[in-house]
Amino acid sequence: MTTTWKNPVSAFDPEKPVEEVVTNDYLSPQSQWDATRSYNVPTPPVGRLRYYHKWAGHGDKLWHRLRYWPTRRRVLDISGGYNSKTLRRQKTIEDKRPIWWILSLLALAIAPFFIPENQQNALLTAGAVFGIYAAINLCWMLIIGTAGIYSLATYAVVGAAAYGSAYLSIHMGLPWWAMPLVGSVIGLVFGVIIAIPATRLEGFYYALLTLGLVELCRVYVIQSREFGSATGGLYGADSYIPQDWPQHAQLLLGYYAGLVLMILGLFLFRFVNGKRLGRVLRMAPEKREAFAEATGVNYRAARIQVFLISSLALGFIGGFYSAHFRGAAPSLFSFDTMLLSLAMLVIGGLGRAEGAVLGTLIVVFIDRVLVDWGPMRFVLIGTLMLLVVLFLRGGLFGIKEQFRAWRDKKKSENRSSRAEKGGEMLPEEATETENKDIIYFRRFDKMQRDFLKKLITPEIIEEHRKRPLGQHSEALERVLTYFRRQPQNDKYAITVIEPFKSYRLVALSGTRGVAPRLVEDKIYGSPDEAYHALFLRRVQDLLEA
Amino acid sequence: MNWSFVIANAITLACIYGTLAIGISITWSSLGLINMAYGFIFALSGYGAWLAAQYISANGFVVMGAGILTGAIGGMLVCALAFIPIHDKPNFTVRGMIATLAVSLVGNQALLWYFGPRAKSLPPLFGSSQTSIFGVVMTADKIGAVVSSVVLLSAVLLWMRSSRRGLEIRAMMMNPHAAAIVGIGVRRTGFYVMALTGGLAGLASVLLSQTYYVGPFSGITPMVKGLSVALCGGLGSVFGAVIAAALLGINEAMTSVVFGGQYVLITQFALIILILLIRPRGIAGILDKAREA
Repeated sequence: MTTTWKNPVSAFDPEKPVEEVVTNDYLSPQSQWDATRSYNVPTPPVGRLRYYHKWAGHGDKLWHRLRYWPTRRRVLDISGGYNSKTLRRQKTIEDKRPIWWILSLLALAIAPFFIPENQQNALLTAGAVFGIYAAINLCWMLIIGTAGIYSLATYAVVGAAAYGSAYLSIHMGLPWWAMPLVGSVIGLVFGVIIAIPATRLEGFYYALLTLGLVELCRVYVIQSREFGSATGGLYGADSYIPQDWPQHAQLLLGYYAGLVLMILGLFLFRFVNGKRLGRVLRMAPEKREAFAEATGVNYRAARIQVFLISSLALGFIGGFYSAHFRGAAPSLFSFDTMLLSLAMLVIGGLGRAEGAVLGTLIVVFIDRVLVDWGPMRFVLIGTLMLLVVLFLRGGLFGIKEQFRAWRDKKKSENRSSRAEKGGEMLPEEATETENKDIIYFRRFDKMQRDFLKKLITPEIIEEHRKRPLGQHSEALERVLTYFRRQPQNDKYAITVIEPFKSYRLVALSGTRGVAPRLVEDKIYGSPDEAYHALFLRRVQDLLEA
Repeated sequence: MNWSFVIANAITLACIYGTLAIGISITWSSLGLINMAYGFIFALSGYGAWLAAQYISANGFVVMGAGILTGAIGGMLVCALAFIPIHDKPNFTVRGMIATLAVSLVGNQALLWYFGPRAKSLPPLFGSSQTSIFGVVMTADKIGAVVSSVVLLSAVLLWMRSSRRGLEIRAMMMNPHAAAIVGIGVRRTGFYVMALTGGLAGLASVLLSQTYYVGPFSGITPMVKGLSVALCGGLGSVFGAVIAAALLGINEAMTSVVFGGQYVLITQFALIILILLIRPRGIAGILDKAREA
């Protein structure tokens, strides 16, 4: 593996013998390049690419934003900017959810005209039920998601309002338009009663207690004679649907009324969850209440406020319910109704309006449209709910987020499995570095060091020891050139303590005015010794890096 | 109003609900799981006992054994579905509760689908004799219910105090993390606990079926009552559950005598709310950090 190298400079001094040194065989720098390029560990794609469609142009238009009352929000969150490569102007829609909302609501609005004739009845009835349940679920989502109160007594409030308004309508002739209003009052009263224990109890104690309250309501209604224990419900209340209309028109009216109720529920959700109360409560998530309190957030008051607002709305929906169905049934209080409603929330995803609506759509579809399946449809709903709880963190609408988290995890696993030592940039660092030269320089530097490491042999160290200065063999010259080219900070140097007698190694600070630091205690008797010690130190650093 | 009848009834119900409540309490404190599928286990073991009575033998021990065994199997099923997959995942308490609710939904509907909506009745386990104790007339099924629930509960509590497995369960109840550190398998103990509490539900189911019927949804009301008793006594405390069961039993008896039967639930919940307002963690619960699963 070794060859001899004749010093070409010897020819200038023919009186001396030609200097010959044992050194390495020639190793082409190309070999390192080839080795790097042929590096073929499986390399899955790594990086953080997120695709947003870029729309052309921005400018004056961007400043004239349409804002809707009573908030200062824009309809679409559009940001303008410049493409960093082409410097063309561009717009990005940051949040496309409003577009999806409008499209889906439009689809719901025109859906009745596309239903086949033979399914009109079933689907329109299911649609009205969907609207009512979606509104209930939105209010419940406010209680569970925004306020973080695990109340299962939602249907106690709805049912109480429904029964109360139906009772008043039957016995005192309350007109249909007053029923939701009376219902809201009943709901508020019930909300206040239910909220009292919520100030003291936490989490599951409260959930179990409210479960008991619903059961209490159910047993009371079943046993009570005024509330129709004999007829299985309280029927005969006034309704907003005129009975002399043809059946199809009645169904259509019910469907659109349900839809309007759902949209009202959505607005309520938006104004509670997206404004001050929601912000305050997002500051105080579970187990971080103490911190929120310390920063001056009165989360208890906010929670109770949200609870009362939702109870009021639930009461309104209860009144609407009895005006829609012309009465109320004890099934409102049953454990299964609560379970199905919880399934709706969980399948869609806790804490988001779109989750409540989509979950309601799915569950109501299975429950009301696939009636032929019998009990199997509840098994289907339960299985769906179980699968969602076991595998998804945030319901169906959390899939995107969870998938991204999972993909990032996989990426970082891949990255760590193929990360090499030696100062190359990690892929994420690389995509975020403005100056791309740095990336290529570091890659080149790493290849060069890998190549130089192969050149370090006992032969060239011996050659350097014999003659630190002057002409060297090709291999040693490459190594030395690399060492000399290194930046000034922490570069090794020799300091003279006493000329021709004692020398020491120092490392430069790299900063003007800051003295070099001593590297070791050893004192060398001659410059050549010091040169060689310095060389050895650099070699060691090279091999270790 | 017949005092002795009411008192006998209250004692019997207190024993049965106490059995359920202790099961719920043990599950919560050792696994951190609110077992909402308890009603399903209850109904399932009722059907197990009914099947045994139909096809094997109507002997009291066989029926009760079959009920307890089915309950234990049901508990292990719930554990495998709702505890094992998510017990180490984030937000376990909420997800566990929802998962057990889903199991309950699926299970109850499957029972309805398989056995049909008609209620079944179990054969009388303890005969139909009557005895008079201190002037209170007790029918045999009530005495049997009280005696068997007290005996079996004492056996379970004794087993938990003295055996190796009981030691593991108690360690999990005290501190699940420390228990895991000293080498107590969380999943294995989960199966023991759920089998044990499922067996208790089975016992309660068989005993309650002496008065009521076995139906696909017959477990919901007992579960709600058991939950309220457990809640009132303090989740995780066996002693508290016993006191709460006694209190609610007395309340039930007094209310039906003084006001009338339809006010029982109202006074019961008023009492529970009152107790919880005074002691937010139940009678024997310590107002400290809740168990963090």
